[in-house]
Amino acid sequence: MTSDWRTWLRQLCAPPPLRPPGALPEQEFNSLCIRCGRCIAACSYRTLQPAGWEHASKAGTPLVEARKIPCYLCMACPPLCPTGAIEEIADSRQVRMGVAEVDPTACYAHRGILCRTCVDECPFEGDAIYQDSQLRPVVTDACVGCGICERVCPAESAAIHIRPHL
Amino acid sequence: MDADRTRWTRWRRLSQFTVALFYLLLPFVHRLDFHAVAGNLASLRIGPLDLNEPAATASAVFASRELTWPLAIGTLPVVLLALILGPVFCSWVCPWGLLSEGIDRIRQHLRPSAWSAAGWQRLRRPRALILTGFLLLSLSSATPLIALFSAPRLISTLPLEAIFLKAISPVTGGLLLVLLLLEILGPRRLWCRALCPVGILNGYLRTRRTASIHFSADRCYCPHTPICQTACGWGIDPRHILTFDGCTNCLACVDQCPSTALRFQLKPHSIA
Repeated sequence: MTSDWRTWLRQLCAPPPLRPPGALPEQEFNSLCIRCGRCIAACSYRTLQPAGWEHASKAGTPLVEARKIPCYLCMACPPLCPTGAIEEIADSRQVRMGVAEVDPTACYAHRGILCRTCVDECPFEGDAIYQDSQLRPVVTDACVGCGICERVCPAESAAIHIRPHL
Repeated sequence: MDADRTRWTRWRRLSQFTVALFYLLLPFVHRLDFHAVAGNLASLRIGPLDLNEPAATASAVFASRELTWPLAIGTLPVVLLALILGPVFCSWVCPWGLLSEGIDRIRQHLRPSAWSAAGWQRLRRPRALILTGFLLLSLSSATPLIALFSAPRLISTLPLEAIFLKAISPVTGGLLLVLLLLEILGPRRLWCRALCPVGILNGYLRTRRTASIHFSADRCYCPHTPICQTACGWGIDPRHILTFDGCTNCLACVDQCPSTALRFQLKPHSIA
């Protein structure tokens, strides 16, 4: 329950999007992105896609749909942003796109099935995500939110999702 | 004598088609992982240099309430170009302008109609209000609205989506479709003349010394409806242009003028 009617309306339309690595906090990002498309053009993986109308006034801004194509942290996009909506980050470990969250009801490992796909595929395996004593994935503060784990999760709809930093 | 009648127009067509072709081919280059040159008509990157479109930038400045040095430096070349040559962006660069001209020509051939607000006087205030409205809405919504609704940006980003992403976004496609319907069914060149915030702002980037059309009445021998007025693709009477009118220096009137009454000069405008 929020007191701001605009926020409420937005939440009705679409969940807050996952932004490119190095993006400023959501409100600042949205005030600076002039939809020049340079970051989209630089992304060899086609990770960055323009937001649709369900994102209301954010239409046209670049977002990441991790389950489709996650960010592989090549960091080609930040230097190209003309307005500074995406900031340059020296070390990909400092990226904070969001944080991965495990859904224990869907996660195979939580149901006793031997699965460590997300831990294996994480580019910061061991640091950002590890297996606890019962072989279940645990996300740490080091998670950058790239979404590779969400992409590779074998559960039908991913059991691990990135919650974007706003 | 016919060659003289297309002197400027030939160069202008070359410029328009070159820009259109450039943005059409750019995504193919991106597919080869080359992005030292990238962007659309909101902002183009050429190596280390930025070329930012002033209206899109202005809406971002209003939206974010700040102007950073890199942003200002990237916008400066385009602003300077406009201050020297006038708002040539609309008639020499913008691919939407090219399309709009083409559609207008076809429509006039099939079913001629008059300009709404011919002479231009009635458009001055609406244009000012629309630009102000866009900037104030950008401020209050904290969103660069001019960048979102920019016709040159939309049409220059269409090839990137179609060819590089292989899917045209409903935002780009939808907005372009609305603009297209407006061109085909609405008043002549309504968007370009009266509504486009990019064109409106670029039209204000003029000074008394900006290159412009100069009219010498003593050399003009045309009767009531002169050739220049018919030639104008913007519904302006070239004999009565005020400094901040929407003349985009397309020079169709200069080309078509049978005398030397109309000239394009880099000198202060004689009428205030």
